[in-house]
Amino acid sequence: MSSTPLMPDDRRSLTQRLTVMQYVVAVAFAALAIGFWIFQVAQHEKFREMAEENHLRKLPLPAPRGVLLDRDGRVLVDNQSSRNIALIREQTRNLDQTLHILAQATNTDEAQLHETVERRRRDPPYRPIVLIDNATQEQYIAVMARRLELPGIIPQEVPSRKYPGSQVAAHLFGYVGEIREDQLARAEYTGVEPGAVIGQAGIEYAYNKYLMGTDGSRTVVVNSVGREIGKELDPVLPREGRRIQLTIDADVQQATEDGFEATGFNGAAVVLDPRNGEVLAFTSRPAYDPNAFAVGIDRATWAELNTDDLHPLQNRALQGRYSPGSTFKMAVGLAGLEERVITPDFRVFCGGGQTFYGRFFKCWEKGGHGSIDLRHAIEQSCDVFFYTVGNMLGVDRIHKWATLFGLGVKSGIDLPNELQGLVPSEEWKAQNTKEKKWYAGETISVAIGQGQVSVTPVSLAVYTATLANGGTRVTPHLVKAMDDGNELKPVPPPPPQSKVEVTSEKLQAIRDGMWLVVNGDRGTARRAKIAGKDVCGKTGTAQVISNQGRTAARTTKNLRDHGWFTFFAPRDNPEIAGVVFLEHGIHSANAASVAKHVLETYFAKKDGNPLPPPPTREDMRLDLRDPFARGTGPEGNNN
Amino acid sequence: MFERRLYFHIDWLLLAAVLLLAALGLTMIYSTTYVTLPDGAGHPGARFWVQLYAVGLGVLALAIFLALDYRFMAEHSLVLYIGVVLLLLYVLVAGVKAGGSQRWISLGVFNLQPSEFGRLALALILAMYFGENRRGARNYGDLVIAGLFFVVPFLLIAKQPDLGTAVTLVPVCFGIAFLAGLRLRFIAIVAIAAVLLAPVAWKVALKDYQKSRITTFLDPEKDPRNAGYQQIQARITVGSGGLQGKGFMKGTQGQYKFLPVADNDFIFSVLAEEQGFIGVLVALGLYLFVILRSLEAARLAKDRIGAYLVGGIISGFAFQVIYNVTMSAGLAPVKGLTLPLMSYGGSSMIATLAAFGLILNVRMRRFTN
Repeated sequence: MSSTPLMPDDRRSLTQRLTVMQYVVAVAFAALAIGFWIFQVAQHEKFREMAEENHLRKLPLPAPRGVLLDRDGRVLVDNQSSRNIALIREQTRNLDQTLHILAQATNTDEAQLHETVERRRRDPPYRPIVLIDNATQEQYIAVMARRLELPGIIPQEVPSRKYPGSQVAAHLFGYVGEIREDQLARAEYTGVEPGAVIGQAGIEYAYNKYLMGTDGSRTVVVNSVGREIGKELDPVLPREGRRIQLTIDADVQQATEDGFEATGFNGAAVVLDPRNGEVLAFTSRPAYDPNAFAVGIDRATWAELNTDDLHPLQNRALQGRYSPGSTFKMAVGLAGLEERVITPDFRVFCGGGQTFYGRFFKCWEKGGHGSIDLRHAIEQSCDVFFYTVGNMLGVDRIHKWATLFGLGVKSGIDLPNELQGLVPSEEWKAQNTKEKKWYAGETISVAIGQGQVSVTPVSLAVYTATLANGGTRVTPHLVKAMDDGNELKPVPPPPPQSKVEVTSEKLQAIRDGMWLVVNGDRGTARRAKIAGKDVCGKTGTAQVISNQGRTAARTTKNLRDHGWFTFFAPRDNPEIAGVVFLEHGIHSANAASVAKHVLETYFAKKDGNPLPPPPTREDMRLDLRDPFARGTGPEGNNN
Repeated sequence: MFERRLYFHIDWLLLAAVLLLAALGLTMIYSTTYVTLPDGAGHPGARFWVQLYAVGLGVLALAIFLALDYRFMAEHSLVLYIGVVLLLLYVLVAGVKAGGSQRWISLGVFNLQPSEFGRLALALILAMYFGENRRGARNYGDLVIAGLFFVVPFLLIAKQPDLGTAVTLVPVCFGIAFLAGLRLRFIAIVAIAAVLLAPVAWKVALKDYQKSRITTFLDPEKDPRNAGYQQIQARITVGSGGLQGKGFMKGTQGQYKFLPVADNDFIFSVLAEEQGFIGVLVALGLYLFVILRSLEAARLAKDRIGAYLVGGIISGFAFQVIYNVTMSAGLAPVKGLTLPLMSYGGSSMIATLAAFGLILNVRMRRFTN
């Protein structure tokens, strides 16, 4: 084989050039090693994070909210698993088409689906957006059947709130809902992610911080097109919200609801333990179904709730302001006693009415009560007696004592949006009206809880409790104990709003009067009597419209009087106090029927007797004669 | 032809390093193409087996190219060269299309990529041309003829289009010319001309996608979704590997397909991810050893043909390795340039092992006449 061997000259040149090549290669490799060292060692941390961001997707695992228990530990508000249908945007190919098919398959509003997606457009594209809350079985099946046409649409199991029957303590519990954009900006919701469910009313709102729990997360491994790969890292389990034991007694609460149900009236009731302000029962009617909110309320239901003439969303117990009528008389009597204007034995002659400052003020009893003392004036709700005492006191001293007992001020209950009632005073009038000057004649109406006086049911309940406990204006509250992670730990009751020293004999005269209301021969609420329990109470009628206005009105149906009954029991060492307010309940005795069922239930439970069954309409012995119904004449006043 | 004593002159160390790199490549291909079934079980991907067969065929090719005297092959290099050119012509006419280019000849069982053999044929014919020529590469006329040998396959491959593979012909050509005594003045002239002609080439010669690759390289964030994506992902892949790597088959970038063509162009990135900087050093060390050892073989070569042949082959190899490794760290524009011995690709594996057959051949026959 022929070849040209290398001459020494050639070889030297070749060797030189090969050496050059060797150096070039060695330098290049050294540079590469340095480059890799920079990326892999010096900047490793940065790239490690970028790689994790690439393939790890953190998906929230929503935490169940804390369970609400009653004072005996029975579950009032629980959680349930509900199914929703969500969208993962990064897995969709044609969003419009997907939403179109989904709307068709599930019979939902396509525009609303678009709106939901639009609202959450700033979320990361892998985070599921809930499109259909609480999907029905049919919707679920429809989605699963068309799954191939619906990339990115997934069903999810999530915890949702489960409230007792739609008509039990709805306003007390409130409801939950997706956090609104304006709420996201608030300091109290820092750390809450868009789409999170928070309390929007009632206890759910007030104690949201505790009830909410901590969402967990599921970290899934995804590939470059966002598809989940089987592997899943250890999830961070959600931590359930804290259990809260309420002061509510489920039996008493149910009795309250049953009582209202039997009367068919709307209204409100608040039942307290007068010793410490624990709320045993709390209702406002008509109510809404909190379950409808729990899984995301649909537009139609929401619109309906908002436009309903009866305002079911209004919490009447906290936000309804009504004139207290005769329930106010104890405040006037007590003011008279404490201001030494009268003694318990002070007597007034009632001839069916009396003239003050040139105007005749009627007593509800046309025939008059004759000579009557404080106790019997309360028993029979004599107007003339309290006109007289009120006139002797003047409005400011009435204002002072009514306020000390909780009227015209907020109760401080641990629920949101409480409104304040009004007990007028000269100062109030000077500051808040054009007229400015208080006329003594106005005091006469105030003395029987009419005129400008207005109260909320909860404040009237506090007032009654303060009468019952001897002057301590307890703060009504709903939380008895809270889960600290291991066990229910008692929550100390909030301090009383105020405390006033009252002479016990004087207060006893008032209580005696209230005892007579229920137990006396001529009491106005004798139907509330329970043998051996010494129930004390006071009826009251709140006029919705003046007698003159009523005459002028075309219909009287929505103008019927409201009925009040405030109560406590037993007379000595009372342990339950409260108020029942019947909206357009016509007669306060009807309210006393509700209260009686509540009290019977309470005492039956306490004594270990079987609870009374829910009352029927007949049991309520409703008095539905409207004294002011067209044609029966305009006479009469409150009782 | 194969005398028994030749056996003792085989560079076993070089052969071992080459086979070790092929094994490393196989391991990484196993890792990136492993198929995991929904029930958790799995099996190696089809590409792993293809590559394994290719290594087998490659070792066979290596043996053949080792057994035949390289001088015999150089003498018949024109036949080989013309054969490859004809195959490249055939590819342009009736080749198999894939991914927008036409590079393969269908052989039924697998597709052959003739361009991978272009380097070998070019190295042989240029080694022959300069080796038999007393003047070496000092004469411009000879350079023109050498240029013609280069330009024909270059254009045919670039036309497929496969600029990446075509460009690897340049270092082969340059390496041989350099060893054959190319004047430094000429190198300077070419370098200056290249700089001056670059804008012209930019305007005239490059296709849009090629331009975008270069602009993207200069600023990958400008287009993070498309052309810049691979580069960014390559850096993440390499950087996230750290010192020790994420472990065999435990990479995330390659396994979950964030890094495209992980078993091919970016196999070195996967190695960096799963085996870390330590693995990178081992692989780089092996490559460096192979290259330096081959240059040593050129130094030891009995004749100019052998020296030029080895120099040309190893220049192309070194260029490809350095470029691919640089690219796999996201430090060079992404080009369809595979990593010889490691990347998936049957033709490349066979051609590369055949080339090392030639290198071993030259060294082994350094004492024969």
